[in-house]
Amino acid sequence: MTPADKDARGRRRALAFGAVLLATLGLAAGYAWHVAKRDAAASRSTAPALGGSARVVPMDRARPQLVYRSTALGDGYGKVAFRPLDDAASASVLTPLSCERVHFAAGHGVCLASRRGLPTTYAAELFNERFEVIHSIALAGPPSRARMSPDGRYAAFTVFVSGHAYSNPGFTTRTSIVDAATGRPVAQDLEAFELLHDGRQVSASDRNFWGVSFSPDGQRFVATVGTGGQVMLVEGDIASRRMRVIHGDVECPSWSPDGSRIAFKRRSASGATGRVLWRLHVLELASGKETALLTETRNVDDQVEWLNDREIVYSMPDDAQPPTAATQLWALAVDGRSAPRAYLRFAYSPAVANRAGAR
Amino acid sequence: MYPLDARSLRAGRGGRGGWSGIGPNVVLLGLTSLLTDISSEMVSAVLPIYLVITLGLTPLQFGFIDGLAQCVTAFARLASGWVADRWQRKRAVAACGYGVSTACRLGLLAAGSSTLWLTAVMAVDRLGKGIRTSPRDALISMSCDAGKLGLAFGIHRALDTTGALLGPLIAFALLFVFPGAYDLLFVVSFCFGVLGLAVLMCFVREPAIDAPGEVRSGARAAPDASPWSALAANRPFLALTAAGTVLGMATVADAFVYLLLQRKTAVPVSGVPLMVVGTSLVYLLLAVPAGRLGDRLGRRRVFLFGHGFLLLACANLLFGGTSLAAGALSLGLLGAFYACTDGVLAAAASAVLPTGLRTTGLAVLATATSVARLVASVAFGALWNWFGTGWALGVFLLGLTIAIGVAAPLCIRIEVRS
Repeated sequence: MTPADKDARGRRRALAFGAVLLATLGLAAGYAWHVAKRDAAASRSTAPALGGSARVVPMDRARPQLVYRSTALGDGYGKVAFRPLDDAASASVLTPLSCERVHFAAGHGVCLASRRGLPTTYAAELFNERFEVIHSIALAGPPSRARMSPDGRYAAFTVFVSGHAYSNPGFTTRTSIVDAATGRPVAQDLEAFELLHDGRQVSASDRNFWGVSFSPDGQRFVATVGTGGQVMLVEGDIASRRMRVIHGDVECPSWSPDGSRIAFKRRSASGATGRVLWRLHVLELASGKETALLTETRNVDDQVEWLNDREIVYSMPDDAQPPTAATQLWALAVDGRSAPRAYLRFAYSPAVANRAGAR
Repeated sequence: MYPLDARSLRAGRGGRGGWSGIGPNVVLLGLTSLLTDISSEMVSAVLPIYLVITLGLTPLQFGFIDGLAQCVTAFARLASGWVADRWQRKRAVAACGYGVSTACRLGLLAAGSSTLWLTAVMAVDRLGKGIRTSPRDALISMSCDAGKLGLAFGIHRALDTTGALLGPLIAFALLFVFPGAYDLLFVVSFCFGVLGLAVLMCFVREPAIDAPGEVRSGARAAPDASPWSALAANRPFLALTAAGTVLGMATVADAFVYLLLQRKTAVPVSGVPLMVVGTSLVYLLLAVPAGRLGDRLGRRRVFLFGHGFLLLACANLLFGGTSLAAGALSLGLLGAFYACTDGVLAAAASAVLPTGLRTTGLAVLATATSVARLVASVAFGALWNWFGTGWALGVFLLGLTIAIGVAAPLCIRIEVRS
């Protein structure tokens, strides 16, 4: 091979690399442009109106309201929004609060926020009815569930605390209850409360709690405990700092506004793929009778909210193609016969505030 | 292939003192790894795959898939090593591995939110890593002077780690500008992967193997003998593999170190990525000096004594204070451990493997050490579960001390002889 041949070969290779470089730059830039355009279009067509200024239109306390996390793609993505519960036609109001998960009751709200960065940090922000943050509590991991007590006194939240993936791929969680007005912890970790199972105290070190939901009077709560490979429903009392197991195989419970029932999700393996499918169920507390809501055939991974004493509401991934980060709310009557109905697009983490009869 | 003789590839361009004897291939392969690591780390930094998997699959299913992926990876590594040596196509085999992993970025785009597909794509990504690692290391080792092996691997690992550090930064910057645009993230990651592949294909050259008479080590490399029997007869290589396996079985995985440290210093869990960054920075800074030290004092010795840093890190975790400074010391020791062991082991093995067997040999060594480390991880996890962290650390501290003692004659005596 002559030096001239070598030069020519080198030039060809540099040219080939240059072409690849340009092509990848073009692909990345073109796709970024496409995403920017897509987001702009999505926010024009779907985003709830933002009142223009940073001041939020105050919430009408006399009417029941749906408070939720907006998942319309664009600037408003992840912002908390609200609208009257009984008026599907009225526009939502977008607040400046950005949350992964939100819940609101009786003038007090809890927002589980993530601040992207290196490292990404997480905080539970307690806010008032003007959506101003009054307390911020650092969280140990990514947010999972958030709940206010109906009287607005307590906030409860669950975060994931990553496990050691090598030997034990099971997840670990931490659930805290705090006083919403002062931000002081009632229980930094529910593990601090006494847990009774069939009258005996449980002190296994692998106890995990998640998914708190409060009783209508706000003094008691239900939650899921996972221990020894089992998941069970516990009922707890805040004043006595005591919990007891009341039912088996229940995840992410939600206490009905009339106090008589618990809606929850339950794992079931699905057929040949062996993938886990969460199905919705309702438990009648007095009789222990369960109703499987099998008309919802999809995998529901949410802690549901009761719209009223007859219907629950929960979020599902939006069925847009290709898949996006958008979600959609579905409502389902708890009679076990009715089909789920599409309730609200581009919404996640629903909470019903100013319930008729509450307070 | 390009009829270039190995010597011209090994010869560095300039007479810049210590850096001569390092061929352009070394830096180019480092660049390929840098770009590929940006590509893979930007995805793994933001995808909460851990949660997806733990929530969508039962632990048993996850364990099964994980085990299966590990087996497939080990098999792919051995097969790719054999193919690369048999047909002397290291670059082509490495490119195949890089290509498979890069294609996986588009697979993520197509997988959407399906857990099954995400798991499958991750498994194939690992397969690509298994295919490419040994031929790439063989290429590095054949693109430098024999006396500069440690330095060459040090340079490569430093560039590689730089990519691993840049990946998450780029990912977070992208998601800051385009919130929630994970599809864009996958596309950009794909582009970095393609660039890495392009550097390999356009600029890296396949070095010629040494003529049989030139074989440096004590192996009897009859050209037609099976590579496995040739490796089995290569005593320095066997000694090194045995040492690597024994030490690997007493190695505490970094994931455990971070978790123990997080518990001990009560740093929030979100601080764990910062621990990874800190450790990587130390690794990055020490990779080249450790490689040079290996070239000068003996690579096997540096590999052996590098485990002393891990020993100290564990001892500090067990007996040291809970202050942030004590935690930082553990991270620094862990980074030093990686700098003295990862690239140095590949350099030490390259020195005793004839070029015609090098990829296969590196693949066997990598498989042996990774299986040993897997066993160690399972054992550590089990000890932790049943007896608590103190016992797990104590047992491993003792085990590592014994392992260093067992490996010492394997590392030191042969060094003296070779």
